[in-house]
Amino acid sequence: MAGGHHISAWRHLDAYARAGVNIAHFIELARIAERGKFDMVFVEDAAAIRERNPDMASQAARSTGFEPLSLLAALAVNTSRVGLVATASTTYNEPYGLARTFASLDQLSGGRAGWNLVTSASELEAANFANSGLRPHSERYERAEEFANAALALWDSVDEGAHLPPSGTSFSDRSKLHPLAHCGKHFTVEGVLESQRSPQGRPVMVQAGASDVGKELAARTADVVFAASQTLDEAKVYYDDVKSRLAKYGRKPDDIKIMPGISPIIGSTEAEAKAKYRELQELIPDAVGIALLASYLSIQDLSSYPLDGPLPDMPQTNLMQSRQQLIIDLGRREKLSIRELARHFAGARGHWQIVGTPAQIADAMEERFTNGAADGFNVMAPLFPSGLEDFVTHVVPELRHRGLFREDYEGRTLRDNLGVGTPTKSWE
Amino acid sequence: MLLGFSLSPFGHHPAAWREGASLEELSFEGLLSRLRRAEDAGFDFALLGDLLGMRPQDALSSTATPFEPTTLVAALATRLHRIGLLAAAATFQHEPYNLARRFASLDQISQGRGGWLAIPSVGEPAREREYIELVSGLWDSFEDDAFIYDKANARFFEPGKMHVLDHRGEYFSVRGPLNVNRSPQGRPVIALLLTKENYDLAAEFGDVILLSETSEERTVEVVREFETSLKTVGRRRDDVRLLSNVVPFVAATRDMAQVQHDSLQSMDRAELPGLVSIGNPTEVAHTIERWRVATEIDGFTILPPTLSAAEAFKADVVSELRRRGLLKPRSGETLRLNLGLKHPPHPAAKEQRIS
Repeated sequence: MAGGHHISAWRHLDAYARAGVNIAHFIELARIAERGKFDMVFVEDAAAIRERNPDMASQAARSTGFEPLSLLAALAVNTSRVGLVATASTTYNEPYGLARTFASLDQLSGGRAGWNLVTSASELEAANFANSGLRPHSERYERAEEFANAALALWDSVDEGAHLPPSGTSFSDRSKLHPLAHCGKHFTVEGVLESQRSPQGRPVMVQAGASDVGKELAARTADVVFAASQTLDEAKVYYDDVKSRLAKYGRKPDDIKIMPGISPIIGSTEAEAKAKYRELQELIPDAVGIALLASYLSIQDLSSYPLDGPLPDMPQTNLMQSRQQLIIDLGRREKLSIRELARHFAGARGHWQIVGTPAQIADAMEERFTNGAADGFNVMAPLFPSGLEDFVTHVVPELRHRGLFREDYEGRTLRDNLGVGTPTKSWE
Repeated sequence: MLLGFSLSPFGHHPAAWREGASLEELSFEGLLSRLRRAEDAGFDFALLGDLLGMRPQDALSSTATPFEPTTLVAALATRLHRIGLLAAAATFQHEPYNLARRFASLDQISQGRGGWLAIPSVGEPAREREYIELVSGLWDSFEDDAFIYDKANARFFEPGKMHVLDHRGEYFSVRGPLNVNRSPQGRPVIALLLTKENYDLAAEFGDVILLSETSEERTVEVVREFETSLKTVGRRRDDVRLLSNVVPFVAATRDMAQVQHDSLQSMDRAELPGLVSIGNPTEVAHTIERWRVATEIDGFTILPPTLSAAEAFKADVVSELRRRGLLKPRSGETLRLNLGLKHPPHPAAKEQRIS
């Protein structure tokens, strides 16, 4: 998010309120991340406004902004080492167009592109692509599976050196083209991709699926898995679960990097960090927090319940089952009222928030890393650019000092830096 | 008169790659350097075509860049600062919401220099009409002054200035609103390549109409026919810009230009997609001036057959056209204004004025 990951970051005095559609601002952020030797910049997405109610929508900066793939293409030619990962939906795209767009992004960036595959659970997105309404969870994953297979095959349809072979007799070397003839339940995809082969073999595959079928798809196809967990135990259970699924696809535990989200609020003293946190939290309008909580719980309206009472019992839904459970658990564990839970949740939207000094934050990250709960972290700075600057200037050196983080990039491509290797071609 | 530059890695002639092509020409930096020279020469827009939505089956095309056009334009927009950027996208390859959003985003990245070359499907006029109207409607999701960024009152935009489209048509059903701010030029520019089938569609929705007739006489006729279509939908001639494709074989001397033409055509005899001019820079400029007068067209999209013709055109033909007083200085910050078109009023603002 442009102004910062905190829901009300844009209201902060230091925030640039127009940041959402300011490309210079995003280039600056990507360059700060690159200076800190971050593996990647990640842009989350929903193909819809996130609030049904116009009054609620109008209070949130995240209602509008850049479309992620065009944003990352713009960043690709203004950075040189940091990876560029965007969310794109298998439910509302077609394999040829999306595979081609990621292939272009991979060319533009010299092999730094990644695709966070999502199946899109929200009703508001479904309404922008509707005749059929929101498809059931299982059907979305069935389509995602076929989509991923088609995309991988398309990326493998053009070899290195397919353009302008040295023989000079034809423009393309047909022996280096592997046209698809895919005809499945959801798609028919034929031909070769109008692209050069990816400098990293293929774009990096990222997923955040937390349902059983989602984890299974990740175990088979993902290089990176994003996660949201509050406690070390939760994080560890998730980590072990995903890693244990790899063997049956002939993959090693290290073939997937698990990167939970972390929202660090950094101060030179603990008191300063807490004051920063309070300052941000006070900017959340009650109505915004409660509407956000309701949308993550997939219920229409929470305002009919007493806001100072506990969360009511919820029915299981077809939508974001895992995130929903996480919120319910958080509310019970910390004995929070709806109002408190809304505010607590709104700030980082279910991700692990940690408020403290650089050393305290590094301690907490080290604990999760060394206890087998994370291979890395997706850092969600609450406020941009200062929150990211603080992390790069104060936490990164602390992590380096402990031998936990790189001094410099290992390679040129995102795969090199993540250490996930180049996969074998799908037709081999 | 207006000038567009159509980008192709080696030139638009299918045999152009045979003349010492290198892989560098396919790279982003290679393509960028050519557009930068077009920008410096004063071209109004660059056009990034696509293979009319066709997918290569078992061979790659030498006249297409190996990039998806909208993705390439997003990158180019950060490295070029004045030239307009039109990218092709087929209505049968993108969901309308995604397409509207991608172009709205490009328009933010380029600060109002973006445009969509719509590639409609053939034989489905009702679907195409609904598609483009729907995309335009999504671009009207917010009024020009909707975003107020009022930190103190927690108001990012004025909710009354957001418009939920709630489109339910025969072919598409899209709620909206678009999750991108209002474009700096109101709406991205819409361009269409005029074909026999799409006069009505182009007359109703086009800002820029591209003609690919191969003779002056046919161009004159098509302009006249299209003016009739414009009248039918209640638009004026001045509401659109008509540009003819020109394939210039230009070299230092007329003979060299003729040799270039003949040698390419002998390697791969191609039907060239526009008016063809063969000559030295002065002759080509003269021919273009003559076409301009005879056809009453607003400008030309240049499809250089080779890289050397492209460079000769940018350096020598353009300065000759300028010497003749045919090129106007850049007149606006956005592509729309630079084309001499009006910033489109938001429908809600229009209603207010009427009532």
